[in-house]
Amino acid sequence: MINVVYSTEHWIVPRIIMGVLVVLLLAIIITEGRARVKAGCAFFEKPGKFFLDGYDKKKLWGTLILFAGYIFTIDKVGFTVTSMIFVFLFNLLYTGLGKKQLIVSLIISIVAPLLISILFGVIFNITLPKGMCSVTFVDYGFTIY
Amino acid sequence: MITVTKLLVGILGVVVGIVFGAIPGMTATMAVAVFLPLTYAYDLETALWLLLALYVGGISGGLIPAILINIPGTPSSITTTFDGYPMAKRGEGERALKIGIVSSLCGGLISLLALWLFTPILSSAALKFSSVEKFLIILFALTVIAALSKGQMLRGIFAGFLGVLVTLANSFSVNNQYRMVPDFLKSKMSDGFQLLPCLIGLFAIAQIFEEAEEGMNFKVQKTDSELEGDVRFSLKDFKGQGVNIVRSSLIGTFMGVLPGVGGSAASILAYAQAKNFSKHPELLGTGTPEGLVASESSNNGLTGGALIPLLSLGIPGDSTTAVLISAFMLQGIQVGPLFITQNPHTWNTILVALLASNIIMFLVMFFPIKLISKIIYIPRARLYPVIIMICIVGAYATKNGRIFDVWALLIFGVLGYIFGKIKIPASCFLIGFILGDDLENYFIQSISAAKGSLAVFFTRPIGWVIWLMIAASIAYAIWDDLKDKKKKAAAA
Repeated sequence: MINVVYSTEHWIVPRIIMGVLVVLLLAIIITEGRARVKAGCAFFEKPGKFFLDGYDKKKLWGTLILFAGYIFTIDKVGFTVTSMIFVFLFNLLYTGLGKKQLIVSLIISIVAPLLISILFGVIFNITLPKGMCSVTFVDYGFTIY
Repeated sequence: MITVTKLLVGILGVVVGIVFGAIPGMTATMAVAVFLPLTYAYDLETALWLLLALYVGGISGGLIPAILINIPGTPSSITTTFDGYPMAKRGEGERALKIGIVSSLCGGLISLLALWLFTPILSSAALKFSSVEKFLIILFALTVIAALSKGQMLRGIFAGFLGVLVTLANSFSVNNQYRMVPDFLKSKMSDGFQLLPCLIGLFAIAQIFEEAEEGMNFKVQKTDSELEGDVRFSLKDFKGQGVNIVRSSLIGTFMGVLPGVGGSAASILAYAQAKNFSKHPELLGTGTPEGLVASESSNNGLTGGALIPLLSLGIPGDSTTAVLISAFMLQGIQVGPLFITQNPHTWNTILVALLASNIIMFLVMFFPIKLISKIIYIPRARLYPVIIMICIVGAYATKNGRIFDVWALLIFGVLGYIFGKIKIPASCFLIGFILGDDLENYFIQSISAAKGSLAVFFTRPIGWVIWLMIAASIAYAIWDDLKDKKKKAAAA
């Protein structure tokens, strides 16, 4: 029997699911622990390293930081300009500072955001983040976000 | 109706799909997820053309790197490497690619036939479902996931239910009360996290984090010589392969029907069966067309199969069709048992678009294959920044411009990355996330009607059948787990 009361029924299913999750978690811990014991190890063992050995710290954390910076800036500055800056920074992070690399990065970071901005924002009329660098051409009825 | 716009959109979709499929590490799911925002601009029919074309192209593109550089472009082309790469090493690269492309076409067409025949039957059976059976079917979907998460049964079920829990962080539609939402987010989360940011986060952003961790310095060796051999492709390569093609395509279609299975399981099973039935099983793996045919026809067989439960029950068969569900939602169409009778026109569009996508895929890949195979040399480090930008556009536009959805994108990206680390299958999580709301609604409807009695789930015969299926899927999972362990013990 489950008592369905209007004011609290929004908690019925989440509570059941939480219960199921706890049971499943216990089952996972027990079965995997027992398997380890069978294999001659301890029931609990120190979890393996989370990150790969010698992982690329700069690129991983750089991606996270740039990503957050990108989102934080985008609706303040506007889509096109922010994207140019951050696509360039991402390219820099992933491909380095060589002269040829820099030129390619620069070209991609100017062309790609412009293309996407015009394709999505102008031709397809999809809402893009707007900010202080967005320009609306009132006479022509479109916005470069 | 087929219009010029639709054909152009179809060609665009197939080509973009092939690019995503052919670059190792990028998948069909990613292609569909990243290009979904483009469909906001189109009506439903054109949108479907684009999405199905991306899907077919994405699945097919994977055979190129599998054959030429021994790296599957998508998980579903793992078995293509077994025979494709040895052939390429002998200088039969072009022949292998063309055999793969023709097999893909056959697989796609056979599964389309299955889709056309079986979806209406399944839908009409599902029409008799009350909320009780609908609830049980979703429960079944969540356990089947587990049965097929090879040796990860508990983690698979756990991920599915975790997805359900996360999707329930919203305001409940019946009494408009919030649960699991902090006060400062209440204005943003009345209908919870949106599907699109969740999906792109889990399948595109998480992938970028993983590769950033590995340093993103993946380089592909040029292998032009492998395309210049004396042995040319001819239709004789398919002599005696008829049964193999049909069997493998049907295996792919069937595996596609089961939720959460994915292409790699389908192609591995089809390959194993091809070996079982082969007159020369010892030749498989050394570069025979037979193995290639089995692998490629099964993974394209998946495309039609995965659409069957999607259109008849509203349950996605794999992560790519999960994206299609959100496309339907965006266009205001509910998939489920009533879909075909209420939207006969859309149903026809899907069949025509799928047929056209397969044919376009064949034309685009078969003749200019030497040119197309250069795709694998595009450096991902240059593509990812642009993909991040497009993902942000997609997430932002989900609810017509909310920065909250873009933050959600990043959160799910990080979550997907962590899932990869602690071996929680993201596709199971996603299926739970998609089905969670319905699961809750049908459950509450069922027990409200029965005045709180749980016996309601055991009273109708159709319900019993579904219970049996649930029990069978769990039993299979346990049996499979044990068999796996015994095998490992025997090997050690």
